[in-house]
Amino acid sequence: MKKKTYIYRGFERFWHWNQALLIFFLAFTGFEVHGAYHIIGFQHAVQLHNIAAWALLVLIVFAIFWHFVTGEWKQYIPTTKFIKEQISYYITGIFKGAPHPTHKTIYNKFNPLQRLIYLGLKLLVLPVQVITGFIYLFYVYPNNPGHVFGLSTIAVIHTFGAFTLLAFVIAHVYLTTTGDTPLSSIKAMITGWEVIDIDEKEERMQNLQKAVDESVAGYYRLDLNGTILDVNDAWLEMYKCKDRSKVVGKHYAVTRDKKNLTELDDLVAKVLNGEIITGIPVTRKCFDGSTGKHLLSANPVFEDGEIVGLGGFILDISEAEKLNEHMTFAVRNSGAGYYRLDENGVIVDVNEAWLKLYKFDSKDEVIGHHFELTRKPSEVGKLEESFKKVMAGETISGVIAERRCKDGSTGKHILSANPIYIGNKIVGMEGFILDITKLNDTN
Amino acid sequence: MLTVKKSQQKFIKLLALFIAIAIPWVLGGIYIYNTTTHTEHVPIKLVNYEVDTVAKVDHSKFKILQQDFDSPQQITEACLSCHNKTDQEVMATSHWKWAKPYIKDNGDTIMLGKKNIVNNFCIGTKSNEKLCSSCHIGYGWKDMNAKFDDSRNIDCIVCHDQSGIYKKATGDYGLPAKEELVICGIASHPFDYKKVLRSIGKPQRHNCGACHYVGGGGNNVKHGDLEMALNKTSRKVDVHMGMNSANMGCIECHKTKRHDIKGNLYSIASANKNRVSCEECHTEAPHKNPILNEHTDRIACQTCHIPEFAKVNPTKMYWDWSTAGKFNPDGSMMMKKDSAGAMTYHTKKGSFIWKKNVKPEYIWSNGEARHYIMGDKIDPTKTVHLNYFLGNYTDKNSKIIPVKRFTGKQIYDAKNNYMIIPHLFGKDTTSYWLNFDWNKAAKTGMAEVGLPYSGKFGFVSTQMDWPVNHMVAPREESLTCTECHSRNGRLAKVTDFYLPGRDYNNLLDVTGVIMILLSLLGVIIHATLRIIKK
Repeated sequence: MKKKTYIYRGFERFWHWNQALLIFFLAFTGFEVHGAYHIIGFQHAVQLHNIAAWALLVLIVFAIFWHFVTGEWKQYIPTTKFIKEQISYYITGIFKGAPHPTHKTIYNKFNPLQRLIYLGLKLLVLPVQVITGFIYLFYVYPNNPGHVFGLSTIAVIHTFGAFTLLAFVIAHVYLTTTGDTPLSSIKAMITGWEVIDIDEKEERMQNLQKAVDESVAGYYRLDLNGTILDVNDAWLEMYKCKDRSKVVGKHYAVTRDKKNLTELDDLVAKVLNGEIITGIPVTRKCFDGSTGKHLLSANPVFEDGEIVGLGGFILDISEAEKLNEHMTFAVRNSGAGYYRLDENGVIVDVNEAWLKLYKFDSKDEVIGHHFELTRKPSEVGKLEESFKKVMAGETISGVIAERRCKDGSTGKHILSANPIYIGNKIVGMEGFILDITKLNDTN
Repeated sequence: MLTVKKSQQKFIKLLALFIAIAIPWVLGGIYIYNTTTHTEHVPIKLVNYEVDTVAKVDHSKFKILQQDFDSPQQITEACLSCHNKTDQEVMATSHWKWAKPYIKDNGDTIMLGKKNIVNNFCIGTKSNEKLCSSCHIGYGWKDMNAKFDDSRNIDCIVCHDQSGIYKKATGDYGLPAKEELVICGIASHPFDYKKVLRSIGKPQRHNCGACHYVGGGGNNVKHGDLEMALNKTSRKVDVHMGMNSANMGCIECHKTKRHDIKGNLYSIASANKNRVSCEECHTEAPHKNPILNEHTDRIACQTCHIPEFAKVNPTKMYWDWSTAGKFNPDGSMMMKKDSAGAMTYHTKKGSFIWKKNVKPEYIWSNGEARHYIMGDKIDPTKTVHLNYFLGNYTDKNSKIIPVKRFTGKQIYDAKNNYMIIPHLFGKDTTSYWLNFDWNKAAKTGMAEVGLPYSGKFGFVSTQMDWPVNHMVAPREESLTCTECHSRNGRLAKVTDFYLPGRDYNNLLDVTGVIMILLSLLGVIIHATLRIIKK
């Protein structure tokens, strides 16, 4: 996939063009000093060459700083991968209209040949030119203490470097025309923008990184000793902690009450043994002393095939849990019977009231059975119909149904039913029943 | 609207980049402009320079100088009656002794000077004293081997006469003419001593020039940078002596202490002592440009500041004695002149080459010189260096100096293989200029020297180097860099070091050019193929 990308930053372009100008200028004045021609005069050539040399040195110092600060130096790490393909592309492929064997992305701006040549320039040719140049500049005469090699050796090396640079410039300028269009590469070096490949993996990594940073899920990472290496902002918020330094570098024990700690110890031990834990509700101890509940996931972190720690996410469930608790309490204590079925109509849960109405003694007698159990054979069809409706998304309320109790007797109740959703998928049916047998009897 | 804004933003960003790139270049340009131009307004840096022009004594007031004198020696007595002990000062100088200590290659120290040296002009003083001592600051030095220490024989006047009329007679042992006199075709006249003595004062250019302009028998023959034209000259010829510039006399630089005058002439001198240097006043860092100041380490000031000598009248560059002795068919002496009027042949002396506006030769010098000593063996197949300078690139005391290289052919003993001083001048039966017989002249001359003469002579090529120190050019005419820093520049022969702009490694240059051409060729072929295949 290709995309217009900001590939060369401001300083990079400033550095590139000024270095280019300086190299041209140094070559022009340098070869006049060499005696190759007489255009501006030896004196001016020497003076200008010297000043340009200082300018280049300053520029190089800034450029080195820039490369290290931005990490761009990594672009120059040499690789042999695809180097053959790159060479054969320039020798044959390019004439056949073959695609470039390597893709220019923002994380990999240079093809393997470029990496090699630019690194050679930066580590070999330019340093040699700078060093011999400054020896040349300060060498003066043999009574100078710096007089070691003799000027002629220095001058010969310096001149050879100049020829090398000149040959490089010729090839370099020509090869800029091998981009998408002949001028696209040069244009990119002027504006900074170029249509280049997107490195999907890198792109994904970046997005993931961003997602983790900005997620409402808390992220954490521990080392083998259980020391917290990293947490994100959401994690800090959940733990009501404002200062990351209070967390990073500490043992995970700070995140639990004593009674809950052993549980976490077990989990950590499991994960460091290679297990993956997907969503266990746990109780945390926040930094203000309060507690909260969250779902915890944890997976081992590998490095070179070895487990070096663990990391994972936490999702806050304190509120949901509270709601759930109230509900459960209400349902458990209400006179209304509660039931839950799965998508196949199997009873998943019922409450005490329900058991009483049906005259069962324990949940175990009903859970796992099909709802057929609760009806006389003649009444099953009605319930079947309701179940289908609910599973199609309808909500039913106030239907009068006749139940079959455990002992074979029957009773009447009003039934409500609604679908259970997980996401947007209906996974079951639940509802309440209110007994109306007595009412009927009275009537 | 939105796209307009966006393209405007894009333009501004590009402009900012362009400005950022341009700023260092503009600053650099301003710096260079300020440091390289307007140098003509930089004042000349001077230290230790003062000129005392006020005369301290008016000699016309002294009664003792107003009497009638019978001989020049009586005048000297009168001088010494006041300046008693000054005679000792004068007789201690090389102007009097015509010799200085010289350490030979074998370590022996001898006294070496005009009285026993060989050159390739009139060759040597031995047996020719009558003419040669016309330039001695004494009266009647006949035998240079004998003691000559009568202080009455000091010629005070030749250096101190300011009337301009005093003159030693040519060819009479340094004595002035008592009566009308013609020796060697040159007339000398008696003159009014009273007028001379009233003018006595500090030596001026014409006093020094009386001898130093005319060495070798005529104006500007020897030095090339010292000649009569300097008496009244312009800045263009000599910045120091120009009447329209500093207008300095000789002794302003050749400072004198107790009659000992600073300065060496390496046609005779050999030691790095008592030299006049430009740096005394101009310092070792006289330039604004530091690169030029670095040059003063190993380049003498004269090298760049005296681009040429013999700027007014020509100087003799070559003297071939072997052609002497030819007569016209009528028996008269043969004389030829070139278009400029300079003598190119004379029966007595042989053939000459004169040159004007001469570019100097350049050599290393550490201030020490060596000389040919009478009796030293020579290789007649090679040019004999009658003097030569010590020094080279690796010797950190050496500097490159400009010299006038004077070459010629002169007589040597073909059997003993050493130089001959012939008897040239004299009204006798052996002098060459009267008898034109080299054998006789050699015999008499070598008898005076004290070396055997085998009876067989030949002519050998010789060479002398005369440092050029005068006729300093105005600064706008001093050498530009490329005079030396170029492929065939002035220093083409000084090859014991790497000179930027002159030297290069041929293999490297050829390799480099091939590399560039191959790159270009590769690019052209590649591009052509790309276009065709498209």
